[in-house]
Amino acid sequence: MLAIQHLGYRYAGAAAPALTDVSLKAERGSVLGLLGPNGAGKTTLISHLSGLLDVQKGKVLIDGEPLAAVRTRTPTRIAVAPQEFAFYPMLSVVQNLECFASAARIPRAKRAARIAACVATAQLEHVTTTRADQLSGGLKRRLNLAIALLPEPELILFDEPTVGVDPQTRAFVLEAIRRLAEAGAAVIYTSHYMDEIEAIADRVLIIDQGRVLRAGTLGELLSEGELLLTLTADGISPQALREVLGSYGVLEPAGPAAQTVRLRLAAPHRPADVLSALDAIGARVQHAEFGRYNLEQLFMALTQRPLRD
Amino acid sequence: MLAGLIKKELLALSRDVHGLAALFAMPVLFVIVMSLALKNVYEPPLRALRHAIDVRDNGTFAAEVGKLWAPGHGPAEALPADWEAQLRAGKLKYVIVLDEGFSKELAVLGSPGEARLHLLTEPGIDGNLFNALRAELQAVGGQLKARGALQTLGENISPTSTDTHKLVSAERYASGGPRPSSVQQNVSGWLVFGMFFVIAALANLFVEERRCGALARLRSLGVPPLALLASKALPYVAVNLVQAALMLMVGAWLMPLLGGDALSFANVNWLALGLVVCAISAAAVSLALMLSCLVRTQAQASAVGPVLNVLMAALGGIMVPTFVMPAAMQTIARLSPMNWGLEALLTVLLRGGGVASAAPLLLRLLGFAALMMLAAWLLFKRNPR
Repeated sequence: MLAIQHLGYRYAGAAAPALTDVSLKAERGSVLGLLGPNGAGKTTLISHLSGLLDVQKGKVLIDGEPLAAVRTRTPTRIAVAPQEFAFYPMLSVVQNLECFASAARIPRAKRAARIAACVATAQLEHVTTTRADQLSGGLKRRLNLAIALLPEPELILFDEPTVGVDPQTRAFVLEAIRRLAEAGAAVIYTSHYMDEIEAIADRVLIIDQGRVLRAGTLGELLSEGELLLTLTADGISPQALREVLGSYGVLEPAGPAAQTVRLRLAAPHRPADVLSALDAIGARVQHAEFGRYNLEQLFMALTQRPLRD
Repeated sequence: MLAGLIKKELLALSRDVHGLAALFAMPVLFVIVMSLALKNVYEPPLRALRHAIDVRDNGTFAAEVGKLWAPGHGPAEALPADWEAQLRAGKLKYVIVLDEGFSKELAVLGSPGEARLHLLTEPGIDGNLFNALRAELQAVGGQLKARGALQTLGENISPTSTDTHKLVSAERYASGGPRPSSVQQNVSGWLVFGMFFVIAALANLFVEERRCGALARLRSLGVPPLALLASKALPYVAVNLVQAALMLMVGAWLMPLLGGDALSFANVNWLALGLVVCAISAAAVSLALMLSCLVRTQAQASAVGPVLNVLMAALGGIMVPTFVMPAAMQTIARLSPMNWGLEALLTVLLRGGGVASAAPLLLRLLGFAALMMLAAWLLFKRNPR
């Protein structure tokens, strides 16, 4: 459905490009999770797909056709559910939907039915005549979602759609997005919540400073790289502990406790080798765990900073 | 699509109580207050001014001053003992002092040696009123001087033969148009001011729309920039037309009920009036759109609109008539779109002008509107978020 190839963009007067050589694909019926800290280039990427920025370098294709051509002919094939409550607070729920339905050029004959369908999908039936600024945060999120669904887009971008909502609304929004993908839409989902991405994304793209750091299915990303061994030991000095473990791989920061270390185990070593070596020098292992990165660890390892930076 | 967006704009505006108050109530209040306050500027209340005459001359002409003065200014009061204190305090508006030797001075052929007739006014008297009283007193003095000179020459003349009042007539010439009044002047001025007040209302809604992302969302739905700008402009043009109708109705029907003059539509060219109102609206709304695209925050929008409005009004002759300004300021005034609007309205409402006489100002207003629309479009295209 969507293929972005080597996309680059630099804002006028900016020292560094906002995007460099970004490539990705979003397929119908699947959710692409987009992870990146603030300033990673997500907004620039979304602005391209929204039609707010022109392509400077590279290609953005929808079913093989340039995005600009598709947007000129049928701009509503692509929809954006922005992070902000992008509607009119002084209008009621249904007035907002009517306004955006009109802007999306939904024919008058179909408009009422389409609005009713979106109201039902977002479960807003009980607040249709309520002014938007009087809705709770969760209901505002649902209205944001309902507006995005009005033109029945084939590709939908959700930009952190669960920010500031209660757990029920969060579950509702995630379920609604999952259903959209199952119904055949291509979904791009950005979030700061790793568990959300793990829960609904079929593929994940990690970007930082305008570059793609990793892309693949969740399984591919989490299975790549070395095994991680995190352990806490006493009976030896922290320095001796680090010296012993250093010969089995690369040490990473694991927290404030000096006796706790994290080791990226280099092949062909196995966790049992490390434990045996520690036992041999008289160290007592209090706690040990090993496995692959989870998404958050992978993200921090790649970007050297947490997602919310 | 455009209809839906216009409907949204009107709904949003209808729920902005403060914005509506600024757009409709403020100019109406200005018209009422200023018209009543300045009612007498066009007909100074000369007969209502408390005054006295201090006659220190015993000659034949001493009593004549009071006789000649009374018909236009009412009878003089008896000179109070503390008249100087009353004059300083503004209780007495003016005192005419006839020095001793006034009558003798009039009988002398040739130029008077020194002032024998003095006009003393309270310190705070209006400058125009002061000039008017001085001129009238000079006329009285001149009339008596002529009579005295003729008597010295032995001419036997009647006291009225030197009366120059019938010789000179003066009026504000409006041909068949309406009689000038403070309402006629103020409705024009504050109507222009009120119409330009759409700047703040439009800019605030626009910034809010941009801040919450609704504007970006509309753009992502493929709404063209020009359609978006038009959907904002047209409702405010309608607002301007309603403002104009309201202000004209207030001037015509409400002002007489409040004791003011009525706005007169005698011989007004309605086509010209309609065109002028539309041209002022086009200039005001396009300027508002350009500024809306320029400002980035609500604070900027709230500050720029009113400040610019007041500045343009002050420079454009709405608050201070341009003719009292120094030459340099008058040149600057002619650069203000509000001045073009005001002059165009006065041309139609006060000077009985038609489309042809208002055309230069109409073209200036429409040219300004086109320039502002172009700037708004370019700014919006450059930064659509």
